[in-house]
Amino acid sequence: MIDVKDLVYEYPSTRALKGVSLHVAAGTITALVGPNGAGKTTLLRCLAALEPPYSGSVVIDGLDTRTAPRAIHARLGYLPDFYGLYDALSVRRILVYAARSHGIAQALAQGVVEKAAGRVGLLDRLEAKAGELSRGLRQRLAIAQAIVHEPAVLLLDEPAAGLDPQARRDLSTLLLSLKDLGMTLVVSSHILAELEDYCSSMIIIEDGLIVGGEAIKVRDVERPRYMLEIATARSDLKSFLAARPGVDVIEADQHHALITHTKNAAARAKLIRDLVSEGFEVSSFGESSKALEDAYFSQLGQGR
Amino acid sequence: MNPELQRNLWLELSPRRLVLMAVVLGLFFFAAAVTGRTAAAMVETARWLYYVIVVVWGTRNAAFGVVGEIRERTWDGQRLSSLGAGQMMWGKLFGSTSYNWFGGALCLVVILVDLIVNRGPAVALIELVYYLAIGVLSQAAALLASLIAAGRRQSHSQFEVFLYQAVGLAAAVGVYLIWAIADPAGSLLAHVRPSDFIVWWGQSWDARGFLLISLAIFTGWTLTGCYTQMRRELKMRNGPYVWLGFLVFVGVYVAGFDAWLSDNRLLMHLDAVARRLLLAGTAYGALAYLMVFLEPKDRVQLRWLGGAFARLRLGSALAGLQGWMTALIAALLIGVVLIVWLNPSLSDQVVFGAMLGFLTRDMAVVTLAGVMSRRNGDFAAVCALVALYALLPAILHGMNFESGLALFLPRAGSPLWLSPAAAWVEALIAAVFAIGRIALEDKPASA
Repeated sequence: MIDVKDLVYEYPSTRALKGVSLHVAAGTITALVGPNGAGKTTLLRCLAALEPPYSGSVVIDGLDTRTAPRAIHARLGYLPDFYGLYDALSVRRILVYAARSHGIAQALAQGVVEKAAGRVGLLDRLEAKAGELSRGLRQRLAIAQAIVHEPAVLLLDEPAAGLDPQARRDLSTLLLSLKDLGMTLVVSSHILAELEDYCSSMIIIEDGLIVGGEAIKVRDVERPRYMLEIATARSDLKSFLAARPGVDVIEADQHHALITHTKNAAARAKLIRDLVSEGFEVSSFGESSKALEDAYFSQLGQGR
Repeated sequence: MNPELQRNLWLELSPRRLVLMAVVLGLFFFAAAVTGRTAAAMVETARWLYYVIVVVWGTRNAAFGVVGEIRERTWDGQRLSSLGAGQMMWGKLFGSTSYNWFGGALCLVVILVDLIVNRGPAVALIELVYYLAIGVLSQAAALLASLIAAGRRQSHSQFEVFLYQAVGLAAAVGVYLIWAIADPAGSLLAHVRPSDFIVWWGQSWDARGFLLISLAIFTGWTLTGCYTQMRRELKMRNGPYVWLGFLVFVGVYVAGFDAWLSDNRLLMHLDAVARRLLLAGTAYGALAYLMVFLEPKDRVQLRWLGGAFARLRLGSALAGLQGWMTALIAALLIGVVLIVWLNPSLSDQVVFGAMLGFLTRDMAVVTLAGVMSRRNGDFAAVCALVALYALLPAILHGMNFESGLALFLPRAGSPLWLSPAAAWVEALIAAVFAIGRIALEDKPASA
């Protein structure tokens, strides 16, 4: 759905993107992570055909941003890190304008507005002015504005910044439901915890380059990550696990191991039995809740 | 309805604002009628209020049509919409000024009722065309200036917005003067002597018809400019042909007024061809100055342009030339032809050669200042030009070093070559510094 090749983007005194290449598959949620100032927002703006590349190419749904920017805009939803709302207008009018300006006919506008408002839980606020909404509600309105025309690609820049835990959970649910509708989402953030719940792959950007050169799969439904802990140190933990069929060791020391393994319960039970029968004192075994963070820190600064 | 126009109407025409405008204008009219004790006083008040509301305030709102969106950070959302450039342009032009047009319409009612009663419907209709023309053209010119400058992608200070508004006000003054000249009764402007005929390209034309057609054509060019600039903002590609067509039109149009220079003491020795070349070249120079201040001095874009020329991608490079560059090239070409044509009048050749050098230097100075400081570059450039054209010559004059004036002003001094040589050396130095600043200085990336 998104193909970027050797993308270079320059600011007057800075080369912000230094030859970025990446591929994002259709119907996925990809996290775009990296430290502040790494080039995440610049990359998103290039993907949105808002900034022309200095060199290289960006292709969205088969269309090049240089030659068909308006066709790309029609297929795209974009949530900037500031929300870009008209504070003096009501929620309904903002969404009607967003729908109409994306080519939705007047007769259909009210229907799609209510659908989008319903998706983000704003149906009861349609007559409220945007300037009177809380930050969390403004964020929901901005997302509704970006999805009102049901775009094929949705780009979100720091969507959860400043949200409370409940709002973040609601956001996760919403993004997963949008993915289920067939949208391709790219979500930028420098807070890994908020991406954990919904991202299936991760692109790490640092100093204008993709770390490792490609997206990293961080959430595989069939092969989740598991963290194993043993009570007594064993230097052969890693080699033992590596020899088991269906086990991939991501990293391990004498007490811990981070592995991927089939989600099948019987297979997991067999693995635990094997460990115990081999004398490993298993004190903990469970799905890793920090898969994204583990992957991020294992990749950062390596293999660029 | 055009969604952009509808959104603007939602924002601008709230019932409270409409009532407020009607009440305030009603009070003004009532006060004028009471204090002036005549209906004429009320009509005169309505005329001035129309200028204030539609022209002065309207040009400001038109200049804010896009700049305001950039400031409020809603412009990216609009650029990502599916609206066409035409829809966006008309929506902004008449939407952002809709409140002004509402107030202007109330003023026009007063003006037109008076005209119909006292001078008949035909005169009222002509006056209506005038008021609409001055409003639309001034607002379109302000919008055009702001769109040209929108590529700067900065917050746009109040001073910059005032500059865009000033372009609109200048257009309004132009319409005002043209209408006054075109009106044989001279009813609109007592200081302009009405003329029945205008000499253009050696032919005598009916003044009113000529000026009204000119006004219509310039309005068309202004709206075309708004449209092409809006296309650029929406990331659609514009070929170079619209701007080139405008340059050709301006050159031909302005050159036709050579008869106006025939009794000028300094230029009367030039023949008609030289006068026409001079007029066209001057127009191109003026356009180059206007555009170099309005257009973004984007170091990355200039660097890309240099790279395209270096790799001999001439098609992309020529299409990527900024407006001021094309106007400068046109001025230089016309200037060279003029210098050749003037042979063997050496002193004229020296002066025009120096003028071309100083024009080129000034473009390099403004560009250099712009790439050195995105925020204050234009102000620094104005200061530098004031120093070069006024301050340094004044110092030299004060020191009785009159021949040194040729270093900063186009003059046929002694030695004769000094002025053009100085101009082109200064141009070269400024260009070298500008190119040096445009070159990449790699610093840590930032988002």
